[in-house]
Amino acid sequence: MKTNHEKIEIKNINKTFEGGHKVVALENLNININDNEFAIVLGPSGCGKSTLLYLLAGFERPTSGKILLDGKPIKKPSPNRGFVFQDFALYPWKTVLKNIAFGLELKGVSKKEAAEKSMEYIKMVGLEGFEHAYPHTLSGGMKQRVGIARALVYDPEVLLMDEPFGALDAQTRKQMQMELESIWEKTKKTVVFVTHSVIEAVFLADRIFVMTARPGKIKGIVEVNLPRPRDYTDKDFLKVREKVLELLESEVEKSMHQEQE
Amino acid sequence: MDFRKKIGSFLAITIILLFFFIWELFSNYEIIQIALFSKPSLIFGEILENSIEIIAHLLVTLYRLVLSFFIAMFIGIFFGMIMGYSRYVYRFFNPLITTLMAIPGIAMAPVFIIWFGFGDPTILSIGIIVAFFPIVYNSAIGVRSIDKNHVNAAKIMGANKKHLFLKVYLPHSFTYIIIGIKLGLARCWRTVIAVEFIAATGFGLGYWIWDAYEYLNVTIVYTGIIILAIVFFTIEKVIIREVEKRTIDKWGVLHEQES
Amino acid sequence: MYCTNKNLKETIKTTLKNTLIFILPFLVVIPFWEVISQLNIIAQLPAPSEIFEKFLYMAFEIDVLTQHLIGSIYRLIIGYILAVTFGIFLGTIIGLKKIISDIFTPILSLLISIPTIAWVPVLLITLGLGDETVIAAVFLGGFFTITYSVIHGIKTVNKNLINAGKIAGAGKYKLFESVLLPGSLVSLIPGLRLAIGYSWRALVGAEMLAAMIRWGVGKMIFTARMSNVVETMFLGLVIIGIAGLLLDRLLLYIEYRTVVKWGMVTEG
Repeated sequence: MKTNHEKIEIKNINKTFEGGHKVVALENLNININDNEFAIVLGPSGCGKSTLLYLLAGFERPTSGKILLDGKPIKKPSPNRGFVFQDFALYPWKTVLKNIAFGLELKGVSKKEAAEKSMEYIKMVGLEGFEHAYPHTLSGGMKQRVGIARALVYDPEVLLMDEPFGALDAQTRKQMQMELESIWEKTKKTVVFVTHSVIEAVFLADRIFVMTARPGKIKGIVEVNLPRPRDYTDKDFLKVREKVLELLESEVEKSMHQEQE
Repeated sequence: MDFRKKIGSFLAITIILLFFFIWELFSNYEIIQIALFSKPSLIFGEILENSIEIIAHLLVTLYRLVLSFFIAMFIGIFFGMIMGYSRYVYRFFNPLITTLMAIPGIAMAPVFIIWFGFGDPTILSIGIIVAFFPIVYNSAIGVRSIDKNHVNAAKIMGANKKHLFLKVYLPHSFTYIIIGIKLGLARCWRTVIAVEFIAATGFGLGYWIWDAYEYLNVTIVYTGIIILAIVFFTIEKVIIREVEKRTIDKWGVLHEQES
Repeated sequence: MYCTNKNLKETIKTTLKNTLIFILPFLVVIPFWEVISQLNIIAQLPAPSEIFEKFLYMAFEIDVLTQHLIGSIYRLIIGYILAVTFGIFLGTIIGLKKIISDIFTPILSLLISIPTIAWVPVLLITLGLGDETVIAAVFLGGFFTITYSVIHGIKTVNKNLINAGKIAGAGKYKLFESVLLPGSLVSLIPGLRLAIGYSWRALVGAEMLAAMIRWGVGKMIFTARMSNVVETMFLGLVIIGIAGLLLDRLLLYIEYRTVVKWGMVTEG
């Protein structure tokens, strides 16, 4: 079912942060992501995976190199992409409905239409009944559902997710993984998902891009050809997991030493 | 980060100097009336010529400030901790304190002038009152807001009442006490100056400024403002910041609010 | 789960209970005070009954109290609204660009150090002895605090909120209007509350020094001194205290309906 159309091309990306001391976050990074693919970027903390996602979003600019979406370079944030933040980043002064409808209203959609469409997505993420609630009254899992609905409602080409379940407890996290899976099956959007959890990666990904410790490069790519939805205890699942862990192990050690600096 | 702040401060000083330069220019070329606005060269001259007199006034004001503040501080912390310790005492006195805290010190001056006349007794009394309330209020909150678990932990280790007070209640409420002190100090010196406008005789920065105003000595009025700005900017930002650095910041207890 | 409105009866009950608790200490202190005054233990201490008599006299018999109150409130409103308008305007300009805020924040800190009352002689010289000076004092009292809280509010908006707006397609103006401005309220609204306290105190102080005004609560106290009428002075203090408290509660209410409702207050 996958086409070989390259949706996203990341060519020779370098990203250096100036400041107190120089930090080379990414070095000569090259990735191609296919259309309708669920791509996961996996790496130890500090490896620059979130930086990569921010570059894709346009929140930051690369020091050198190019990022192309559908062949066109990405220069700044734009609604052809959707973003789900690790810290949810919901607008506290807007209700759930208004948070989601905001993107549509920016596109010029009428208030009524925006509300209707938003309700569809509220139902899709299972938050019916909470449309008039304020974000601070919601649990972490609920907040992230709003985040996902907000990112999807204006039908972006690509969905970017920055460790979206990182702030949730283990049970909620598992539940959200399964729900994200079923939502994705419905729309089959191109997704770039960042995480440091191997299990999460094997559960969700079509391909896993394993990154090195800082400065970040791609260490290896693991294809996950298992049928969906996947079983965490299946022996093929565990085999893939082993493969990924092998790639990851030494990088985790390196990054721990970096943290101590 | 620090580098940027330094550039910012440098540019700020440049802008201030520029401001004075334009002020001087405008006064000299009569774009603004010198009788109303004076000019920086006159102000500077005033500071140089009468520096001893100015320092005398400053010392008197500082004396009043320090004395009333310290008295308020000791009484305030003491009563505040008592208030915080008992829920009922707190609930009873809290409305009184918040209401009285809302009264500006300068408004009390006429009453105190009738009672104590002009001069130090009036100025000091009002200074004490005005500094007292924020200190009491915040000290009480400091004691009240203590985490029950800290108290329980100490009790289980065998602490008696004296230990509890010294080793648990006092250090924890210290953060709030510092906040109260900051607010109390700010109110105190603003009020002392204001009351000096009305009730001082002979000495004090407030007296000096108001007296100059009554004789339409515009230069001294502006000189006074500048001196106040420098002195109290120094007190508030530098001295207090140093105290905070050595205590609150080190203990990492509380993220403080704007006063 | 999410907040529903308490039913009316409960709200009334709690408000009543809170009012009672609030009045309690006064109910105890006032009789005590009355006794002390009547026994003349402290010379020149008017009794609450005498103050109340004076209140009735000034409010109803010679009808001046309303004039004084209106005079003060009128100046407060004008000065405060000016402070809010210019404060938000200037604060926004300074807060948006890092360079500008790096330069002007120290200048602002310097200006905040000057007690508002110290500006009054300058105001008296340049603006005269009437209303304008008092209004200007009210303005100065609140302006710096408001400007500072807008700057702080804009600078501390969570960066990801801005990012979320950007990727949804918000342009510069929309970002400011829909993200930065509401986001800065968590600092602005408590700042407004502080500012009205400062403005009110500045009002009282300036009224006591402005010779040409006739009405005003500060003026009322000052004039009373000329004729040594302590009851009026105390009445003035009571009114000033209550008014100051009410203004603070009003802003607190606004705080509740905005930043507290949205869960944006990090600490009491």
